[in-house]
Amino acid sequence: MDFAFTKEQLMFKKEIIRFAKKEIVPRIQEHDLKKQFDFESFRKLGEFGILGLHFPEEYGGSGADVITTVMAGEALGEAGVDGGLTLAYGAHTFLCADTIFMHATEAQRKKYIPKLASGEWIGCMGLTEPNAGSDVASMTTTAEKKGDKYVLNGSKIFITNGPIADVAVVYAKTDPAQKHTGISAFIVEKGTPGFASGPNLIKMGVSTSQTSELFFNNCEIPAENLLGNEGEGFNMSLQTVEWDRSALLAPFVGASTYMLNRCVEYANSREQFGRKIGQFQAIKQKLANIRIFGEAARNLVYRIAWCKNQGRPMNHLEASVAKLFVGDWSLNPSNDAVVLFGGYGYCHEYDMERIFRDSRLAPIGGGTSDIQKMIISKLI
Amino acid sequence: MNYDFTDKEFTLFVEIHKLMSEFANDKNLESNNTEKSNQNTRQALALLSKTPYLNLCIEKISDYNGLLTLMGAMEVIAGISPSLFLSIETSARIFGRIVSAWGSDAQKEKILPDLLSGQTIGAVGLSEDSMNVDNDPLATTGTAHGDQVLISGHKQFVVNGPVADWIAVAGRMDGKNAIFLIEKGTEGLSIGKKTATLGYEGVAISEVRLANCAIDASQVIFPENDKTTLSTLRLWENQVLIGASLGLMKKAFETAKNYAKSHKTGGKPIIAYQEVGFKLSEMLTLFQTSQLFAYRTAWSAAAEPKDVETLTLCAKVFCTESAEKVASDAMKILGGSGYVTGNPVEEAFRCAKYGQIAGTSTEISRVKIGDTALGMNK
Repeated sequence: MDFAFTKEQLMFKKEIIRFAKKEIVPRIQEHDLKKQFDFESFRKLGEFGILGLHFPEEYGGSGADVITTVMAGEALGEAGVDGGLTLAYGAHTFLCADTIFMHATEAQRKKYIPKLASGEWIGCMGLTEPNAGSDVASMTTTAEKKGDKYVLNGSKIFITNGPIADVAVVYAKTDPAQKHTGISAFIVEKGTPGFASGPNLIKMGVSTSQTSELFFNNCEIPAENLLGNEGEGFNMSLQTVEWDRSALLAPFVGASTYMLNRCVEYANSREQFGRKIGQFQAIKQKLANIRIFGEAARNLVYRIAWCKNQGRPMNHLEASVAKLFVGDWSLNPSNDAVVLFGGYGYCHEYDMERIFRDSRLAPIGGGTSDIQKMIISKLI
Repeated sequence: MNYDFTDKEFTLFVEIHKLMSEFANDKNLESNNTEKSNQNTRQALALLSKTPYLNLCIEKISDYNGLLTLMGAMEVIAGISPSLFLSIETSARIFGRIVSAWGSDAQKEKILPDLLSGQTIGAVGLSEDSMNVDNDPLATTGTAHGDQVLISGHKQFVVNGPVADWIAVAGRMDGKNAIFLIEKGTEGLSIGKKTATLGYEGVAISEVRLANCAIDASQVIFPENDKTTLSTLRLWENQVLIGASLGLMKKAFETAKNYAKSHKTGGKPIIAYQEVGFKLSEMLTLFQTSQLFAYRTAWSAAAEPKDVETLTLCAKVFCTESAEKVASDAMKILGGSGYVTGNPVEEAFRCAKYGQIAGTSTEISRVKIGDTALGMNK
């Protein structure tokens, strides 16, 4: 066993933190309050190379390994980047762009990946439906082959980047009689007749990310927009799970470091009863809990990343353990941070309430904690 | 980065698992009996001396990765018998490391061969009534008297106290921290009776009193770095308790899982009910997270030693508290049979509490972790 990061990885992490603190963090509060997507920050993520980090250079990426890519997510969280932007990045790069990269034709790769890697285009992924959440097989959106086209009908919900996406990876049933094996994946571009997105859904947290429904009403797309073969969609969606359990969880790990640093600053400056509040044992206990969570969670997230980097098939049990732990156990530290800041912790200006709200997504998005428990209990 | 143990390490784990499982097979290793503790510990040490296990962290062994390999191996033995594990580790690792890391060549030559061949049991006297979060100076003292040193003091909760051949007693001498190596039977050394405890009933734990206990001056160790002597002893103790927690969780989880698969109600195994299946999922999540936390902490002892003390405290808090939660949930899954004395999960539940109290307690650990975060330890 060896838990060391390379010098290059650690230097790159520092660079990302420096970049994000300067270029992104200053605008977070404003956008979070207005529940607006920060297009400028997203573009800057693209310019810095984060959006396409793991794609080969010929497609506008940097050819980074999985561990470095996951580390980028941790670095963004550690810098204080909000969960809304990191979620938008995750949905864009891993759920949309990576699925296209893995399963599209060479022509499609060349068409979409450079634009997605640079941030010129924004991507989203449409899987969840009003009545098909964790039970994916019950989806009712259909894709009917008619000549050299597919005709999509149905709707999707809770789609991160839905209102702002230029391109979507959409899952639909090509064989409604089948369950998982009837699902196929398609590329659908913004502006395609019959394709529309709903208004931004107002959420508790991750407010700068834009979330909406997607509607398909006799939406015709070219037959070549089918990714892979018919019936392979469900497995494609599973392939994104490795990224979901590593790169998309990593910002939560980074955010715990950010919380700890901010709490330490506050505890070392705030005075009550004639001394710094950091000198009270109750405050130290909270700081300890935040650090312990971060250290514990980091190992789980990088285990998934390391295994993926080795080219190993995904271990579903380990993936669910990581998701369940980060999801459920991140709630107490973020609560501790709010309480440590007292009244200020309840105010937007001090970040902690935003992180508290953002962290509430962890046990819900990408498969709820209960679903993780279902998976684990079946596997053991 | 690499999240796998090596083949050599796996082979060692399998070897000691087989050895200790066979040894434990027909014995009650958790019985509250000093003589049985004595016999069991000596026999187990002798068996383990045939493997590289006792030498880990005492000397550098090629093919193995020091504390990291040891952490994986500790989990194996603690999962078989928590009491035997605590006796073995106190002797081989904590007492052993005192001698191997800080002892003179003569002390090593005198003690280590018998210790590593399993013929000697060691104990460590550290805790005193007055010990606190700030590590105030110990009250046990040594005074030079010609070629001898006279030691006076009182130690509590000395693991292996009643069965040890050698006791390393921490105290003060000449204004510095000192370790006094005291052989069983030395005049002035008084060993209390085995203390009745909530868990780890198979371990002989007692108080130790020293009243002008005279030892040769050559049996005194003055550790190189006086400032870190006590924290290093606590660090070693905490590492053992982390290993113990992994073993307790493994035993409790495996017992509960097997029960949930075999025990039927309403015509189906109880694991099929979400209340049980979900509880097992949470237990496994805590267990796996603890494992990785423990392994990374062990790895950092050699690779990133700067932060190892605080990281070990973090892991100790997490692993020991997780062990109690996992054992508690396991008991709920087993229902009434889990509450019966002698059941592995009932035993694990009782032992788990010790991990939070012994070494650096979880409360003091959190204070210290907070101090580090606040920059108060600089």
